[in-house]
Parts: sequence; structure tokens; C-alpha cells
Amino acid sequence: MRLLKNSIIFIAVFAPWQKGFTQSLGNKLFSLTENNQAYKINTIYKDKDGFILAGTTNGLYTFNGINFAKVNFTNPNIKDTVTAIFQDNSNQLWVGFKNGKIAKKNGPALQYINPKEGTPNAPITAFLQDNKGNIWFSTNGEGIYYFNNNHLYLIDDADGLSDKFVHTITLTNNGDVLAATDQGINICNIVGAKKNVQVIGPKDGLPDYYITSIMPAGNNTYWIGMQEKGVCLYNHITKQIIIPNVSTLWPYGQVNSILATPNNLWIATQVSGLVKCSKNGNATIEAFDKIFNKTNINNLLQDNEGNIWMTSSTDLISTAGDKLSLLPIYDNATYQKIHTILSDYENNIWVGTDGGLIKYTITNNTIKNKNYRINGLTSKTDITGLYQDKYHNIWISTMGEGIFVLDPFTGNYRNINENPLLKKASVLSINGSGNNVYAGGLEGVATIFEVTDVNNKILNNYVFTNYDNIPNIGNNYIHSIYKDKIGRIWFGTDGKGVTVLQNGSFKNFGKSSGLKDEHVYSFTEDLKGQIWFNTKDAGVYCFDGTTFKNYNETNGISDLKIISLKTDKLGNVILVNENGFDILNPQTGTVSYLNNTQGLSAINPAIESIALDTAQNILFSTEKGIVLYSPIANTSLQPKTIITNVKLFLQDINADSVHQFKYDENDITFYFTGLYFTNPAEVHYQYKLEGRDTVWINTKDQSVPFPNLRPGKYTFHVRSSLNQNFINATEATYSFSIATPLWRKLWFIILCLLLAAGLLYWYIKSRETNLKKLQQLENEKIQFQFQVLRNQVNPHFLFNSFNTLISAIEEDPKMAVDYVEHLSEFFRNIVNYRDKDVISLGEEINLLQTYFYLQQKRYGDSLKLNIHLTGTEKDNLFIPPLTLQLLLENAIKHNAVSKESILTIDIFTQNKIVVKNNINAKINPQSGTGMGLQNIINRYNILSSEAVTVNNDSKFFTVSLPSLKQ
Amino acid sequence: MIQKTIILAGALLLFSFKALTPSVEYRVTSGTISFKSEASLELIKAQSNELKGIILTEKKQFAFKVNINSFKGFNSPLQQEHFNENYLETSLYPTASFEGKIIEDVDFAKDGTYPIRAKGNLTIHGVTQERIIKCDLTIKNGNFNIKSIFSVLLEDHNIPIPKVVHEKLASEIKVEVKANLALK
Repeated sequence: MRLLKNSIIFIAVFAPWQKGFTQSLGNKLFSLTENNQAYKINTIYKDKDGFILAGTTNGLYTFNGINFAKVNFTNPNIKDTVTAIFQDNSNQLWVGFKNGKIAKKNGPALQYINPKEGTPNAPITAFLQDNKGNIWFSTNGEGIYYFNNNHLYLIDDADGLSDKFVHTITLTNNGDVLAATDQGINICNIVGAKKNVQVIGPKDGLPDYYITSIMPAGNNTYWIGMQEKGVCLYNHITKQIIIPNVSTLWPYGQVNSILATPNNLWIATQVSGLVKCSKNGNATIEAFDKIFNKTNINNLLQDNEGNIWMTSSTDLISTAGDKLSLLPIYDNATYQKIHTILSDYENNIWVGTDGGLIKYTITNNTIKNKNYRINGLTSKTDITGLYQDKYHNIWISTMGEGIFVLDPFTGNYRNINENPLLKKASVLSINGSGNNVYAGGLEGVATIFEVTDVNNKILNNYVFTNYDNIPNIGNNYIHSIYKDKIGRIWFGTDGKGVTVLQNGSFKNFGKSSGLKDEHVYSFTEDLKGQIWFNTKDAGVYCFDGTTFKNYNETNGISDLKIISLKTDKLGNVILVNENGFDILNPQTGTVSYLNNTQGLSAINPAIESIALDTAQNILFSTEKGIVLYSPIANTSLQPKTIITNVKLFLQDINADSVHQFKYDENDITFYFTGLYFTNPAEVHYQYKLEGRDTVWINTKDQSVPFPNLRPGKYTFHVRSSLNQNFINATEATYSFSIATPLWRKLWFIILCLLLAAGLLYWYIKSRETNLKKLQQLENEKIQFQFQVLRNQVNPHFLFNSFNTLISAIEEDPKMAVDYVEHLSEFFRNIVNYRDKDVISLGEEINLLQTYFYLQQKRYGDSLKLNIHLTGTEKDNLFIPPLTLQLLLENAIKHNAVSKESILTIDIFTQNKIVVKNNINAKINPQSGTGMGLQNIINRYNILSSEAVTVNNDSKFFTVSLPSLKQ
Repeated sequence: MIQKTIILAGALLLFSFKALTPSVEYRVTSGTISFKSEASLELIKAQSNELKGIILTEKKQFAFKVNINSFKGFNSPLQQEHFNENYLETSLYPTASFEGKIIEDVDFAKDGTYPIRAKGNLTIHGVTQERIIKCDLTIKNGNFNIKSIFSVLLEDHNIPIPKVVHEKLASEIKVEVKANLALK
């Protein structure tokens, strides 16, 4: 109820005005051009991150304060004209086009939607999301559409809509949809499946049929912009229309767009530029401003820093809005003489100049000025300070003429001559609070006046206390005096630090207390009662009751030549320098600033040229006029850090959903912005890749590549600041992981180790087996050799051989010699081949034939040996030594050999080497150990995969030996 | 299997446009409406050649209707019986209709093919649902040809589907309309 009352009250103070007076500051213009062609901006929208989206005749763009970036369709050739932009509660971006189509943003690209009902053929003008989450959109020609339960519905004339040309739609607190049409306001709602449309038109008090815009004004009221009749206020509860005075004679043409800020109503018009209506008490600082000489302005919005944005054809324009405004009340010549300004209780502005004062009164958008001459002051007298006491009397401090007090209503004034110290004194500052007025100056001027009821009239004498000749104050050069809320009196001295009077005693703080500079200029107190003061060269100090904390360039102070400091209405400490001012947040320690990029320049360097008005706005005098800084609550003074894109190998990925990468997806680039429209070029960044970096890395770039990242978990941190002070800077993060490759996974490594161990085990095992085999072979060989030797030194063999020899010696000595030679060769061969595993078949046959010669001399023709082997076989096949000899020996041993029973041994190949003899069973078989044949079998087992086969069919005894190749 | 069924969409002739005369009236000379239910277990389709309709070109108004029992071509007589008795309750709601207004501005005097959207009330099974339906209007030598494919949700029109037949009946029925209209 109370709010409603207030909103009506301020309407009553609207007054007609002829010409704009206050001027916008911080004006910037950005033309939307691409390839030297400019595109018209139809609509702008602030997204949830704070970016400004521009819908143009060439498609959709994102604006970051410096440049426009195109938001393309998957097919970049689509360049349809955008007419509406909207981001819903789930951050889904909707874009409406002139051709009636609708697109959604899907990942980095736009994509047309295809409702089964089709899309309109008329331009989309606006979107909204109702309380049920359904999307509505209005069209210029077909009415209003809405989605519900998978269907798209249309509200048009058949449903009672007064006109199908809908310029915008707005959701009310109670869930109704207000539509601005060519035929009044339409209130739409859906109950079940039933559409209800109620029309608010001229018969309801609406001054104009043609409604162009609707802007929520709070408390169920809405500003309505009209084609001819300006603006009016519509109450959705009472359905009442209130027409403010400003609209009774509206000379500014069609209203295109409205923006309501806490103090002002900004109206974009078709022919008169930007109109600003004050909502501020009795003040009528209303203005219209053709920023950049633009008359046709549209699409107002306010960014998160309080700047106001608008469009004009192909241009995007911003101003500092409510934050900064300029009152061009004096000319440059006057400015040169000003050393002090004052904003009085009626918000008149007083300046001290030229041997007197000038009072500027701004009413009804006009400026009046009145001169107050002070006798005794000349144009050469420096007026150093102005202060208005609780009785509205104005105190004037001068160089060389002491202090004057002036009654602003009568114009009477007098020199304060009751204090001898002030006679012809040089007073540097005059300030006060409550009942006190303090004056500081040269030659020991340090005086506090008590202002009591008798001083309502300036003629009555003031009670005062002089703090002269008190050694603790320092020397007698006082820049300023300040009394804080708990009654301490602070003296800022020139070269002796700061002195405080508390509970009757003085205490001085200088170099010994840590002050790097003892020239102290002015004081202010923050909301926590901390005392702040600026020094000549060392920045500012904050005294929290025990220690002095210094703030200088390392904290982000942009200029140490601070003229003066004040606490603004939000509790920030404002440090004014000649080119702008720093805004120091005592809570967080962050420092922001406004400077020449906001149109500030040549700020008057006199300490007392900075003033507060009744609303605690800060005023300072510049060569262009008085600048008013009016901080806006809940606006951002720091850049907002946003990670705008993440690319893998410089290709787009869907960074919202992708946070895991393969081991070889290790080249990641981050793109980020510290969004700060006020001063985008001054944004600094620090980043840190947690998981790789331990310290923050400074950069001014807006991207950072990370090639060749090792597998692991990472979090990319980036933060932005206007200076090197990153304390409490906004931060954006992106966490991701790069997979460990297979061969670096623990299970894989263990598997490999196990496999290696297995292989090693197998190798050792098989080597052991091999060694065993070799050992066995060696054993067999030795055993065989032993056998052979034993056989050959068998007494029978020797006896038989000797018998043969004896008879040969007698009968045929020549043959005997031959026999002995063979016998000797035989034994030599046995010795030669003893150590070999195999010999060629040819060698063995030679040996065999030697042996056969020896035996044949005994048995004559009864023993026959037939060898059917080719030369190739003899060369290429191999055999363990003495194998054939042993088999021949065995044949002779086990068979009768006589003329009646001839023993024939055949050696041939049939895949294997076959030794075959006919069986002539002996009557008394010679017993044998059988070791010879068994030994052959064993040796072949080691040397060959094939076995020796022995066949005895009672006619033939056959031994087949596997062929061995080298 | 007994429970085979259908639904239907259609259109229907508004009873009288007398009040709107004089106006240029185009009436359906031949029109078919067919529907298809593509459930996972069974395809059901039927067709009616008895579509009636009218377009008033000056006011961009239209009305179409069809008698539900004129649908033929079911898989079995039993299916048709269930369609008429259990689901569309034809005796209670004998017709389906679609009437309303064409959204786009069309130059009906000019030959050509126009993709248009019709906004109107679709009544099936006695339940009226507002719909926007896309169709292609072809004008040639003063005759109109309309083609449209759209879908009808059973739940939009309170047509109950017993659970048993759930997999034999789609919850969304595809409807296709073709009609020729000529000046009355």
C-alpha cells in the first residue's frame, strides 16, 4: 500500500519542460558493421551472464563491451532478420525472426524449431515465459501464440484480441499477459483450455489507442508507452490509468521504449531522443538528450553496472545513466576561479568565485543564478571552502580574510571577527557536522565553533574553541579538521601527520605510527566508523581504531594524487583525483573507478571542490560543469568473469556438458571475458590451472591455450579485475579431466607385470627342460660310447678279429695288413665321432663299411650288406654316430650266419632310414643286454620329434630311424 | 485382439452459413479423410470418402465435417465395431468436425500453392480442442485443392485406451485429408 502511494506521489511532481538540462555522461556509440556494411539493430536483450545480445537485419550478435560476435546457425548462410530475443528460466535462448520463424540456441549455434502447427508468417515481436513455464510470443499481424501441452495455440481477433499487431507482451505478477497492440492493452490469460482476453482502451481512460511499450513499475503497476500521448501508468489490480503531468502536453513524439530506474524514468522516443523524467522529490531535473544527435531511440535496457543502453538504427549506444550526470551550469572562465562548491539543503549549488558566491538554482529544467557579493573580498581573494550549518547559514572560508557567514535567505553576511585568531586569517577548509563547524588553516588556525539556536541569526556571536599552539597538533598548518561520530576530532596537518583529540587529550600519528607520508589532506568516516584520510603522495590510510592500513597502487588505487575523499551513500569511499575517482569498498578492499572513459576530465584539484548533496550524491566541479555521482545500489563495480568458450584442438565443443577428455584430447583452449561495459579495455585477468599451476598467472589476453596436458584432474580458474587487486574478484571455473591412457592404468600395468613374470617363468622352465634334455643326451651319448667301446673291446670281437687275422697272416699277409688297417680305421673313427651328437649319413656309411669289411673277412659271402642310398642322402641326412654299426653288429649277433643261412642287411630310405635284415634264428640265441637298441631309441627321442620304430615280423627285423637334418 | 480400435480425426460441415451470406462459398466436391494408428503391434487404418466442407474466402472462414460411421477399410468388421461403439461412441457423437479461420492472408483469385495454417476448433468424440493445422492449398482455375497431414492425440479428445490394447493402438493418430473444392 505504502509503495503504491509513493508511486502516485512522484507522478504528481512531473512538470512540463521545454529543454533538457542535465546531460548524460559516459556516452558511447558502437556501430554494428560487418565487412563495411552496417546492419540495423531491431532489438537488444541482456542475457543471464550480462552480455548484450543484438538482433539485427544480419542475424544475432553478442556484444561484450568492445565488439560484436555473430551467433550463427549451424548453417552460417542463414542471416534472417532477428526481431525478438528471450532467455527462459532454464537459460534457453529463444530468437524470433521477421519472417515469423523461431530459433533456439543449441550449444554454440542457433537452430530453427518446427512446431507441428507451423510457425507464423508475421514478425515475432516479443517472448515471455508464463508461471507454468510455457513460452508465449507475440507477432506483428497474427496475434499472440503460446505453447501448452505440446500444442501451439493462437490468440487472435477471434478470441477477442483487439488487434493482431502486438508490439510487445509482458507477464504480470498474477500471471496475466499484457499485450501492447494498435488497439489498446489486451489482458490475456488461459484458464484450463479457455482463453480470456480483456481489452483496456480509451473508454477505460487510456489516452491513446496505439500502445508501443509496457514496462513494469513495481507494485502491480506498469508504465505504458504510447504512440502520441507519451506515457501513462496502468494499475493491473484496479485497472486504473494515471496520466502524469509530463504526458498532458507531450511534445516528444512516439514513445518507443521505457526504462524505470529507482530515481528516474527514461523514455526512448521516435523523434526527440532520450527523455529523462526525474522521480526525485521536488527536484525537476528532467531532461531530454539527443545523445550523439540521435533523435530516433529505441530498446532501452540497463546493464548490471547501471549503464543505460539503447539503439538507434545501426548503432548501439550507452550512457552512464543514473550514475553520472553533468550540470553544465557555468562557463570555463567561471570554472577557473572556483575553488569550492556546496550543494545546499534545497539542492542549489553554490560556488565561491571572484570575491563572492554564485548560487545556481535549477527548477523546471531551467537554470537561474544569483550573485552574492561579499564586501571585503576581491576577485583575487581565494575562497577556500563553503559549509552550510544546520540553520542553513553558509560559512565561507578565505585566504587572508578569515571566515564569513551568510544568511542565504536575506543575503546578509558578516565576518566572524569575535575570534581574534581568525582575523585576516588564511583558512584552508571549513566543514562541520551537527552543532559543530570546524575551520583549519595556516598559522595555527584550528577552530571548532559551537552552533546553537541563537546562531539561527548570523549576527549573534559564536562560541568557539581554538586549538592553536598545542604542540601535539603538529605545526600550525592544518589542512582540515573532522569530527567523527564518536566525538573524536581529527586534525590533518601539512607534514606532521594526523592528530586526534579524544577525551581531552591529543595524540599524534606520524612516521612512527607507520604513515609513509605526513601531509594529510582530508577525512571521511565509513559506515563501520573507520576513519579514512588521504595523503600527499602515499595514497589513503584507514584507521580501524588501532592500526593504520595503507591503500596505494598495489591495492588498485589508480592515482595517488588524491584531491579529497568522501563516503558515498552505499558506504564506499570515493577517492577523487584530477581525472576521475576511485571507488574503494571498505568491506572487501576492492577498488573500482570511473575516469575519462566516462567523460570525466579536468576535475578541480582544490580540496574543498568536492561536495555532498542532501541525497549524499557526490558533486565535483569540472571544466564542463558540475558532475553528479549518484551510486546505484546492487550494481556491479567489478568485471564479471565468464568463461565464454572451451575449445579442444581449437574446435568447438559443448562445454556445458563435456568435462571429460580422452588421453589424447589434451590441447584445450579457454576463452573468457571479464564483462565490464563501463570500461572494458581496462580489464586484467589472472588464471590458474589447478592440477598444474600453483600460482596465478597474469594476462591481458582473453584466451589461454593448454597444449599437451598430461592425464589428470584439472580445474581452470580465471578471475578479472580493473587493476592488479584481485581480492574478491569474480572468478569463473571449469573442471575437467583427461583420461589416463590404457598403458598407464594400474590394472594394465599389473597385467603386464604378471605377463612378464609368466613369460620369464616359462623361459626358465623351458630352459631347465632343455638343459635336462641336453644333460640326458650327454648321458646317453656317454653311455652309448661306453657301450660301443665295450662291444668293440668285447673279447669275442677281438678274439674273432684276431683269429681272422692269424689265418690271414699265414695265407695272405697282404690282406692281413689290409685287415689291420681297417681295424685301426674303425677304432679311430669310433674315437673321432665319440663326442659328436650327429654325423652325416655318408660318414656313418664309411664307418659301417669298414666294420662290414672286418666282419666279412670272417663270414665271407654269408654276410651281405646292400646300401641303397644316393649321394644327396648321404650328404644331407644325419645320424647319431655308430647307429648303423650297432644295428649291423646286432644283426650279426642275433642271427646265424652261414652258407646255408645267409644274412643280408639292407639299408635304404623310405622317409626314414631303414635297416632291414632277414632273421636266421640261432639255435642258441646269444644273450644280450638289449642296451644298444634301447640306447639308439633314447638318443632319437632327444634329437627328433619322431620315434624310432622297430619291427620284427619273424622273417625280417626292421629298424626305421627318423631322418635328421642339420 | 477383439479390442482393436481406432480413432479418428476429421472434419465436418458446419450446419449453416446462412447468416454469413452473401459470401463467396467454396464447397467440397470430393474429399477423403484417412487415419492411421501405428502402434508397436498393429497398424490400423481406415478411410472415408464422405468429407464435407466449405470455405468462405472473404472471411477466411472454413468448416469441414465427416460422419464417423462412413469410415471403411478396417482390418475386420469387429475392428470397425469396436471403433464405432467402444472408442468414438459414434451413436453419441456421430460426426467429427474442424471449423475456424485461416491465419494467413491468401489471394484466392490467384493460382498457386499456398502453405497455410488454419486455426480452429477440432471436435472429435464430442470434445472440442483448439488446433492450428498446417495445410497446402492449391488454387487452380478457380478450384481449390487442400492437402493436410496432422496428428490427433487420443487424450486430447477423451478417447480412452484400455490397457490391454495399449500396444495395438497408438496414442497419437495420424490423419490425412485431401479435398477438392469448387465455387458453389
